[in-house]
Parts: sequence; C-alpha cells; structure tokens
Amino acid sequence: MKAVVATALAAASLLGTTALASADPLKIAIIESLSGSQTSTGRLYATASHYVIDKLNAAGGYNGEPIIVTEYDSGGNTAGASAKFKQAVADGANIVIQGSSSAIAGQISEDVRKHNLRNKGSEVLFLNVGGEAMELTGDKCHFHAFRFTTTAPIRVGALVSVMKDQETLGTRVYSINQNYSWGQDMQAAIEADARRGGYEVVETVLHDVNRIQDFSPFVAKIQAAKPDTVITGNWSNDLLLLMKATGDAGLKVRFGTAFLDQPGNIGNAGPVALGHYVAHPYNIELSRTSFPQDYETVTGHLPTYVEPGTVNGLTMLGKALDATSVKGGKVDADKIALALEGVTLDTDIGTLSMRKADHQVLLPVVVSEVSRDVKYPVDGTDMGFKPVKVIPADQATYPAQDSCQMKRPS
Amino acid sequence: MTRLLLALIAAAVLVALPPFLGLGWQNTLTNMLIAALFAAAFNLLMGQGGMLSFGHAAYYGLGAFAVLHLMLAIENGFNFPTALLPLAGAGVGLLSGLGAGYFAAKRTGVYFSLVTLALAELLHAIAPHWQGLFGGEAGLSSMRMPSWGLEFGTSLEVYYVTLAWVVVSIGLLYAYTLTPFGRLTLALRDNEQRVRFMGFDPHRTKVLVFGISAMFSGVAGGLMAMSQETANYNIFSMAISSQVVLQTFVGGSTLFLGPVLGAAVLTVFTFLISEMTRAWMLYQGILFVLIMLFAPNGIAGVIQLHIDARDRLPWARLTGPYALATAAGAVATTGLVMLVHYAELVFADAYRARVARDGLWEPVSAFGIDWNPLNPVTWLVPLALIVLGIVGILKMRGPIAQLWATPANIPPTAAMPAPHAA
Amino acid sequence: MEFVTLSLLNGAIYGMLLFMVSAGLTLIFGMMGVLNFAHASFYMLGAYFAYTLSGMFNFWVGLIVAPLMVGVVGVIIERTLLRRVHRHGHAHELLLTFGIALICEELVKLFYGDFPVNYQMPAELNFSAFTVFGTNYPFYRLFIGLVAVAMFAALLIVLTKTRIGIIVRGAERLPKMAEALGHNVPLVFMGVFGAGAALAGLGGAVAGAFYPTNPNMALDLGVIVFVVVVVGGLGSLEGSLVASLLIGIFTSFAVGLDWSIAGLLGVVGLGGVAEAIGGPLTLTLSSASGTVPFLMMLIVLLVRPAGLMGSRN
Repeated sequence: MKAVVATALAAASLLGTTALASADPLKIAIIESLSGSQTSTGRLYATASHYVIDKLNAAGGYNGEPIIVTEYDSGGNTAGASAKFKQAVADGANIVIQGSSSAIAGQISEDVRKHNLRNKGSEVLFLNVGGEAMELTGDKCHFHAFRFTTTAPIRVGALVSVMKDQETLGTRVYSINQNYSWGQDMQAAIEADARRGGYEVVETVLHDVNRIQDFSPFVAKIQAAKPDTVITGNWSNDLLLLMKATGDAGLKVRFGTAFLDQPGNIGNAGPVALGHYVAHPYNIELSRTSFPQDYETVTGHLPTYVEPGTVNGLTMLGKALDATSVKGGKVDADKIALALEGVTLDTDIGTLSMRKADHQVLLPVVVSEVSRDVKYPVDGTDMGFKPVKVIPADQATYPAQDSCQMKRPS
Repeated sequence: MTRLLLALIAAAVLVALPPFLGLGWQNTLTNMLIAALFAAAFNLLMGQGGMLSFGHAAYYGLGAFAVLHLMLAIENGFNFPTALLPLAGAGVGLLSGLGAGYFAAKRTGVYFSLVTLALAELLHAIAPHWQGLFGGEAGLSSMRMPSWGLEFGTSLEVYYVTLAWVVVSIGLLYAYTLTPFGRLTLALRDNEQRVRFMGFDPHRTKVLVFGISAMFSGVAGGLMAMSQETANYNIFSMAISSQVVLQTFVGGSTLFLGPVLGAAVLTVFTFLISEMTRAWMLYQGILFVLIMLFAPNGIAGVIQLHIDARDRLPWARLTGPYALATAAGAVATTGLVMLVHYAELVFADAYRARVARDGLWEPVSAFGIDWNPLNPVTWLVPLALIVLGIVGILKMRGPIAQLWATPANIPPTAAMPAPHAA
Repeated sequence: MEFVTLSLLNGAIYGMLLFMVSAGLTLIFGMMGVLNFAHASFYMLGAYFAYTLSGMFNFWVGLIVAPLMVGVVGVIIERTLLRRVHRHGHAHELLLTFGIALICEELVKLFYGDFPVNYQMPAELNFSAFTVFGTNYPFYRLFIGLVAVAMFAALLIVLTKTRIGIIVRGAERLPKMAEALGHNVPLVFMGVFGAGAALAGLGGAVAGAFYPTNPNMALDLGVIVFVVVVVGGLGSLEGSLVASLLIGIFTSFAVGLDWSIAGLLGVVGLGGVAEAIGGPLTLTLSSASGTVPFLMMLIVLLVRPAGLMGSRN
C-alpha cells in the first residue's frame, strides 16, 4: 500500500512539474476545424496563421523566446472546440486563434471570458480571424476578444452599393443563407439594405449548415422565384455545392457573395460564374508588393480566400507584440490587448485599425467581379477576381453596437 | 474482501492524486469518470437486459440540455445548488427513457436497436432547428455559479463533484443488480418466456430498465454539461452513441465493471495518443474488431477468466508462453504503427503537394530512422513485423491452450464466454 | 410548376441511388439476418476506388472495376471475419460490422485525407440532357438513374429467372433445406454478401462523381439507407425500391414546403395558440425535412415492423 502511494505521488509530482514548468514563452493555440466538412476552410486559417507567426519568430519571437504554436482540431463543432480550448489552456496557451465558424467563435469567446473571470493574472486573448456574426462584437463582446474580419452588414453593404452603381443588382433579390448566427445576420442585412439598394427581397431561405449533399432542389426554388440577383453568405461545402448545382443547371442569375473566392467555387460553377460578385477584405490583384509570391514560396499556393485577411490580422498582432516585448519578461495578455487597441496597419488598399469600443477591426473592403481579365486566374480556369471598387474603412463600417458593454481592466 | 480493498485503493487514488496533476490530466480524469458512468448506465440495458441500444446519445444529450437550462436559470437568479445540477439530468433522463423505452421495448433484437437509433437520429435532426430548447446550431452555453461556498471555477472542483456523482451512481447501479428486480432483469435477458410464466410483465420490466439506464445516462450527460458548460445538437450524433457501444464492448459487457474499465482505458488512451496521431480512431476500430473476434467478453472478460481459474492454472509454466505472446503482439503492433505512420505522412495533402511540385519523395522518419518511401524495404519491414507477430501469437496459442487444459478437464479457449459475475 | 417537375425528377433519381445502395443491404439481411452497419462503407469505398482508378486509367475503368474490387472486399470480410462470429449470435455480427465501418472510415481518412476528393464525371457525360423552364438538366443525373434501373432489372432477372436465383431464394427461405439438397449454403451467403457489397460499390462509383466524395459519405447515407430498408421491409427488394423513391422524392420536395403544424392549426383558427407554444409547432417542413425519414422509420417499426412490402417480422 505504502509503495503504491509513493509511486503515485512520484508520478504525480512528475506530471505536475511538466504542467507548471512552461510559463515563459508566448503560446498561441490555433483551434480550427481540421476534420469534418469544414476542413478546407480551417486549414487555410491555420496556414495563414503559421505564415505570420513563423515570420515573427524569424524576427526574434516574443520576450526573446520563440513563439510556440500548437494546432487543435475542433472537429467543426462547438463542443469539440470547447474541449480543445480547455486542453489549450492546460497546455499554457496565452492567445487563441479561430476563424472557421461564428458558432465556434461564439463558443470560444465565451470560454475565454469565463476563463479570464476565474483566472485573474493568467488571462487568455481570443483573436477572431473569421467569425463574422454581429453578436461577437455586440452582446458577446469583451475586453479579451478581437475581431479581424468583416461582418454581414459590411459585406452586404459593399455588395449592394457597388452592384447598384454598376447597374447589375436589379430589383429582385433572393437570399439564401445558412441557418445559424452568421446566415441569419446575412439575411437581416439583405433585408435591411432593400430600400437603399432599391430592390425587393423575393424569397429568403435558411438551410441546414454543411449537411446538404445536393443543392439542386434549392436551385429549382431560386429558378422559380425569378430573381435578378442572389445574395448568399454561404461558405465551405455549402457554397461549393451551391455553385456546382447552379453550374449544372446553367442558372442565369447573378450572385453577390461573401466567400466566392474560396478555392473550388469557380471551378465548380464554370463559365456561369462570370459576372458574379464577391465582397472581401483583400484581393491580391491589387497587391503592389511581393506578398503573393512570398506567400506562394512558403505555403505552396497563392494567398486566397480568408488567408490575406488572416495575415493582416496576425500582422497587427505582431505589431502589438513588438510594442510589449521585453526580453525575459512575463507574458501579460492584458498588456498585449491594450497595445492591440492602438495598432494600425497600412496595406495596399488602405489602413486597418482596431476600434477600441468593441474590438472590431476597421478595414477597407474590396468588391470584385469574376472575370477573364485577371492577373491571377483561379482553380485552373481562365477566370479570376477582377477588383471593381475599394470601399475605404470609414465608409465600410457601421458604428459600434450599443449591445457591446465592455468591461475594461482597471 | 480483496475486492473491497481494491475498491478502497482505487477510491483513495482517485481522491488523492488529481491535485498533483496538471490541468490536462484533471480534465481527462473528469471525462474518464463521465464516460465510465455513461458506459455503466448503457450496460445496464445491454449487459443486464440484453437490449442493444444504438441511440443512447439521446438520453445523455437530453440530460445535458436539462442541466444547461437549469444552469441558465441559476444565472438568472433561480436558487439551486450547483453541486446538485445533475439531478435535472437524472429527471429528464428517466422521463425520456420511460417514454422511449415504452416504444422501443415493444420490439426485440435488431428491431429494438433500430428503434433506439431512429429516436436518437430524430433528435439529432430536429435539435438544430429548435432554438428555444436546444439553442439552434450553436447550442446552449452557461456558466457554473458559486454555491455552498464553492466557486466551481477550477477544473479540480469540477473533478471532485463529478467523482462524487459517479461513485454514488455506479454504486447505485451495482446495488441495483443485487436487488430482486435486478435479478429479474438478468432473467429477462436469458429467457423472456420464463419471466412471463413467473407472472411478470416483461414489457413493463423492460421499460423500467430502459428508464433507469436512461436516467443514469442523463446524469452522465448532465455532468458533461456541467464540466463543459455547453452543448449543441452534436451531442445527439451517432458518434456519441457508437462511442459508448465501443467502450462497453472493449471493456466487456458481461461483467458489471467491464464497461467502466473500457471507458476509462479508452478515454485515457485517447488523451495520450490523439495528440500524437490522427489515426487514433483507426486503432480503436481495429482493437474493437479484434476483441469482437477473439475475446467477445472484452478485456474484463479475459481478466475474469483468469481470476476464476487462478487456483488451477500452472502460473509458473504459463509465464513463458504469455510473455512470448505479449512480445509477439508488441512486434505486430509496432509493425502496424509504423505502417499507419508512413501512410499518415506519405498520404498527407501537404506531402503529396510537395511531391507534385518538386517531384522529390522526402524521407519519412520512424523510430529515429529516415526511411525512403520509394524503397520497398520501407514498407516490407513493418509488414514483416506484422506477419512475424501474428505467427508468434499463433505459435503460442497451442501451448497456452494446453496449459489451460492440463489441471482440470475444461475445454480452454481464450474466447470462452465467462460465466456471468456481477 | 417548374419546381414540381424538377423536384420530381431530382427526387426520383436520388431515390434510385438510394435503392442501388440499399438493395444489397436488404438482400443480405433477408438472407443472413445480419444488419450490416458497414454497408454504406461499401458505397464509400466504391466512390474512392473509382476515383483512384479514374485517375490511373479513366472513368469507365473505375466504374466497372471499382464495384468488383468492393465485391472482393465484401467476400473477404464475410469469409474471414463475419463467419467467425456467427456462432456468437446476431448482436455480435452487428457489432462486428459496426467496427468494420469505423475502420473503413478511418482508412479512407488516412489515405485520402479529410477533404472531399475531386472525383469528376468524364467530359463526354458532362452535358445537359434537355432544358426545362430555362434551366439545363444535367445528363449525368439521368445516367445515375439509368444505371440504377439497369441494375434493378438485372437483379430481378437473376433472382427470378436463373438457377442461381432459385438457389439464392431457396437458401434465403429455408437454409437448412437448401443445405440438405446439396447446395453449399455458406458459399451462397458469401456470394450474396459480395454481390451486395459490389452493388453498393457501384452506387458509390456512379454517384461519387456527382455528389461529393468525402469520408463522411458513408455515415451520411448509412442511416438513410437503414430507413429505406426498414420502411420497405427487411428483405424485400420491391419494398426497398418503393421506399427509396418515396424518400428521394420527399427529400427533394421538402425544401420547398413552408408548411408547419402552426400553419395547419391556423386553418382551423388555432394558429395563434400554436405560435405561442412555438418550438416544433412553428418548424416549417422545409427546415424539419431531415426528421421525416426517421419518423417514417419509427412509425413503420412500431406499427408494421415487416415494412411496406416485407412478408416477415
């Protein structure tokens, strides 16, 4: 009996020390959907994050130590993400990055808030690089959460104003979106912009998320409603399959989208995609630096879809880290958060900054059109995304939501 | 007596050890306890009642959502002690179990399994659309509130609450098997006709067993909700239902503690190995199939077989063949791990993209050695190890069977079904 | 009108695909009493094998060889695994096939990754068959339907008009008697298991080029296939056909139907009450369409376990 206890205690102290020993280097946890139907998107966020963090490490890391990055697979669902967040905290993470889904972003943001309430002095930051639901900088906003991407009203607003200017919007708009916070926001934004855009919303559909195998029934429904334009916030498989079904049916309707630049969409849709629009935070066609080529050398592909936005977001983090890095110092999440609030980043298309009131990034938005007249064709086709207009940050964004009641550290 | 002592030692370790462990281990032990309770509850139906449910995630999930609703109510000022939260899971589990059981128990065999499967899938399909009850796609989340002077903030506090609930629940489940009604459940599994002749209503008995099993599944789900502070419709998925089936049968469904053992072992292994290899689920599947083929009563069944025969087995002479068979098993496992590891590396998207771009097959490393994927030796070595290991085990089967047969004249096979022991 | 026409067409063809996969399952169950959890995995393997073969040779080689390969896998599984646990009873067989399904899914993930693979139909099949109401109807959809119809016809002829068919049906009805008459029943079982697997593999090889080929496809289809087999009647080929078409057409129509229980009650003036209760009462059929197959399955299991066309319980 004594021997058993002794062995157990020895084992315990061994395990205990390994858990406590790692306090100094900055640890970043990437919690992404790396399995399941959203893998394709999750992988891109992770790749872009690694790209920036590797550069930060090449430039000396943080506090004189290399930054340690670990990937965790959320499996694409909130419960999985929550479990992995716990694991990340157990592994000593200071910063958590997530992009793939608003539902998961909401979960992690709440988990981070609870963790920070309970663990004063070892706070964790949440960098939301892709969750676009309004509530994340509204109801659920808190001091330790930052959003580096757009939201539904930003994307829809940009689409509507540019398509109206181009006289391609028409008067009948169809809304097809995913049935969760993000898709519901999209639908609300499409309905809210109806008067400004001078259109009528002919039908709205909210469908299951990433579970539909065949979108042809929906395409038949769209066809029957005779819209001029379809606006959709779909992403991952839900957009890929929607594009495939529209391509198969030869549906002659213009799409205004949030994520058409996701790899595979143009290839699946084929020539019917010509003339479709996307509102996105960046378009490499506008790049005047060697960033696209450098990214390609490092990762094997040109930056697309969510990657440039993620790179910009993490570059902003890098600036905040620069400002707080002290050789041999402790990692202080609050200090990094305060520094992040003041960061600005100049890019080829304008300046990005972090709004202090709700931690929403203020960023310029590009509206592009699928065209053959491009420098970087995609998906092995001769089509790509030709920039139509850049909407500067101050025009793209709406004021901070009243629902955001942020408690700042005193 | 020995059993009691063992149980006491186990309890002492479970109480005394966690404060010295890291956060990761505390979380894992909590998950392990919850899985163990879920498996024990599931097995009340399967092992005791002979009813194979393929949809036990339903009651687990309903328990979880019940607790989350209660937690939300507490957040909004309702007065209820946090430590007793799983009671909500128990209540909802029992009620839903009685309801579902009423229908499911009308059928037997495969049809019973199909009814349970359909019920769980029904919930899984409707939950993401039912905003008020299940929180839609995102699910519900809440926060544990302090009560009884405890914060319920740290993983350790959650662990101890879970431990208390699991020990009491498993104790109750065990006590159940000793009651006359528990005996009746067993009789039901073995011979339903006879139960009927004895004057009992088999359907009513089955419904009650189903309800009790669902009640403790609800407690397990409630504990999970309490520890995670969140749940969404995925908790009703086939993956959760199948995980408990897997754990129960790996552990052994004919013994009371088999499922508990299976759940504990697999949860801890998952924690240890899943970060190392993505193929963990593959190993779990292979282990499950091997157990189905060669040890239908699971790990606990094999252990029980040895305990039952401990007095008549020539242990000294068995040691050699057992050691050799274990070594052969290790050799085969090594080969399998190597093979899977190569496949993981060589068939990874990134690796194939590099090959397509540069035309170079970079070496893959295993056990500190770099192997060239184009060299047949790379693939022949693990294959040879697997064959060697299997041949070794087959060679040892004869001698082991002989030693088992020597003292008493009982026909021995490792796969011999163990007599039921509670 | 266009919605009805298109939905009917799409639904019928999806139904035929379901039938291709469930035909083998219902045959195996009817004969061996084994509910094969791994059956949808054969469908998935068919798609992946065909994808690999179409990359190495061409689409047509994949279409023909992949089902044969899946058939061989089925034979091996029956011969080396399933037969061993037969003596432990049906529950054990069920659990074994469940384990095999797990392994199949993980192996596919290991070799092909978690991503959907880019399994495409050949260019010569990628054209529109006709135009209805201004949209093109892809020929490949019709092709899926044609393959399924051809398969059903072939199966029916083999089972009812040939000697093999008589033996198979005999072994299914009265295995002991067939054995006494000198037929090798285990061999027949093995053949049926392999053939059933090959049919599912054919379904995968054909459908994988149209629907996404990913590691979740077995699980996604697996449960629906169970529904088909149960609703049609375990062991009844004709029942499976009817149930497949029913579920296929229903699924395709459901997205367009905004009916809800609240709406129904509204007709009799109770709409307000239902709205107040909320929850499932206000769910539209389009968003709850996923639940309907399981409801059907439950009702059949509880009311008429023999299914629509099954003769036995």
